[in-house]
Amino acid sequence: MSANLSGIRHTRGFDVIKPLSIMTLIIVMMPLVLLPLASIFIFGTSNGLRSFWNALTAPEAIFALQLSMVTSFWATAFNVVFGLFAAYVLSKYNFWGRNALIVTISLPTAIPTAVAGFALLLLWGPYGILGKYLEPYGIHLMFTAAAIILANIFVTFPLAFGVIKPVFDTMNQSLEEASATMGATRWQTFWHVTLPSLRGAILSGALLTFARSVGEFGSTILVSGNLAGRTQTAPLYIFAKFNEGQVEAANAIAIVLALFSFLIFSVLFFARDWLEAE
Amino acid sequence: MTNKIKFGLTFVLAISLFMMSCLPSAPGGRGGGKAARTITVYGFSVMKESLEKEIYPAFAAKWKAEHGEDVSFQSSFAGSETVTNQILQGAPADIGIFSIERDVDRLIVAGHVPNDWYVTPQKGIVNKTPFVILVRKGNPKGITDFADLGKEGVKVIHPDPVSSGGAQWSILSIYGSELKKSEAETGKRDEARALNTLKTIWRNVIATPGSAREARTQFELGQGDALITYELDALLMKDANAAVDVVIPKSTIFSEHPVAIVDRNVTAEERPVVEAFRNFLWSEEAQKAFVKNHFRSATNEIFNTTNAQFGKIEMPFTVEYFGGWSKAYPEIIEKIFRDQVQNK
Repeated sequence: MSANLSGIRHTRGFDVIKPLSIMTLIIVMMPLVLLPLASIFIFGTSNGLRSFWNALTAPEAIFALQLSMVTSFWATAFNVVFGLFAAYVLSKYNFWGRNALIVTISLPTAIPTAVAGFALLLLWGPYGILGKYLEPYGIHLMFTAAAIILANIFVTFPLAFGVIKPVFDTMNQSLEEASATMGATRWQTFWHVTLPSLRGAILSGALLTFARSVGEFGSTILVSGNLAGRTQTAPLYIFAKFNEGQVEAANAIAIVLALFSFLIFSVLFFARDWLEAE
Repeated sequence: MTNKIKFGLTFVLAISLFMMSCLPSAPGGRGGGKAARTITVYGFSVMKESLEKEIYPAFAAKWKAEHGEDVSFQSSFAGSETVTNQILQGAPADIGIFSIERDVDRLIVAGHVPNDWYVTPQKGIVNKTPFVILVRKGNPKGITDFADLGKEGVKVIHPDPVSSGGAQWSILSIYGSELKKSEAETGKRDEARALNTLKTIWRNVIATPGSAREARTQFELGQGDALITYELDALLMKDANAAVDVVIPKSTIFSEHPVAIVDRNVTAEERPVVEAFRNFLWSEEAQKAFVKNHFRSATNEIFNTTNAQFGKIEMPFTVEYFGGWSKAYPEIIEKIFRDQVQNK
């Protein structure tokens, strides 16, 4: 297609544009993405696989990875359910302030994550607007895993919604109407008609949210307390090790996260196809 | 794709999701069973090694022997000002070890630490270390004293005074050393000369990392020609065989590091063990461990003769030279550094 656009005829034989454009793609990606990623792998394993393995299996490293997974899981669970609900409401009903709500949901995308962090502190911290009323009851949200989940929810708020809503918008209304005419309840229609066509969008929304949560740093470092083995997530662990000058330990976990996102986006790529192909 | 494969994949996904949601119960259980007491320590960046390698295990063994209880530690390290801000925001520190006394003052004002926190031996100071200059192996830029850092073409890494206590020590060190030298030469503190040296050095600063430790990492990764830092951190780098040389300025400051119990976070039940840990920091055992890890002892100068790597400083001084932190911070860090050097 690119050949047609650029006006070069290729009625038969070899299309020069194809290899050229692929090469350009890779050459541009080289210094921007591929080499930086490669350097993580080179540095992480520079002292041999043995010390890479030791860095990886340090109890605090394993804990950090687990904590990242758990907090990201709950943030994802919430944001997917909420994103689904919000998308349903906002594409089904038209009401005053609807666009304002849509804009508000999308806001966290552009807000610096550090701002998200201290906004949460100002609200839920022991001296925060609401946090000070919880303090006497011994309820601490900040500097716990709950704080990390709240931060993840804030930062990834628009992602699942953003993927699900367009599918809602373009959904074939006639199917739902047919379902209703056949006597299905609102819930039955949603469960048997609406939801199945959303599976692909829900999965990609979930994976995007999860991937983004696992990598979250700016807000987490402010709200978590950064205690190794207690409230230190994988990105915080990487940062701490880097600051301590243990670049190799930092790289070991960075490699895990890099492979992990590779896995997530591979699943995203393939799974979406077969979920939607149905 | 067949239904069977699909079912299998869904099943695997469901299991892994279930496992992920369950994990929160697992963490936390480090350092032995439920009976273990845990002390939460927030420390400024370069405290990490000596605490984790020597002090924690030594205290845990002592407490176990005396009380039969297990004690475990959890800690977080960052720039001194950052640590203080975290505690001010409610971070669960039982005890804080800071680079500068000003940070304890900030906690007192906020009601986290009582006014009489320093009613301990050594006025709350656990250890000290002089400020030195770290250069590349062989000293290619020919740095011999602070003033040389202001020479044309020298690139300096200097931590950020906003977040790092070490950075503030460094500024006091540069400024005070010029006063001290001028005083020795002419009998008068030459403030114009001191300001000028600070200005020329700051022109050469190419990066201001958040803590002394971050600054060291950047230097180790090859940035800059020189780094002003704690002697302790410079010696730790030498121990790690980094290709660096230590330059001892003719005159430099001894940074003194206070410890304070964060009263607000310590329950009556935890108090004995937290206090015992703080007091342990002044014990002979702990002070010797600090010296071994290149801090200088705050309690006994004889311990300090046991570390052969310590540099000799011709004209040392402390923050008392400026009348203490309550004067040094507003008059030098704010009025001179911030207003006349940084914002110029």
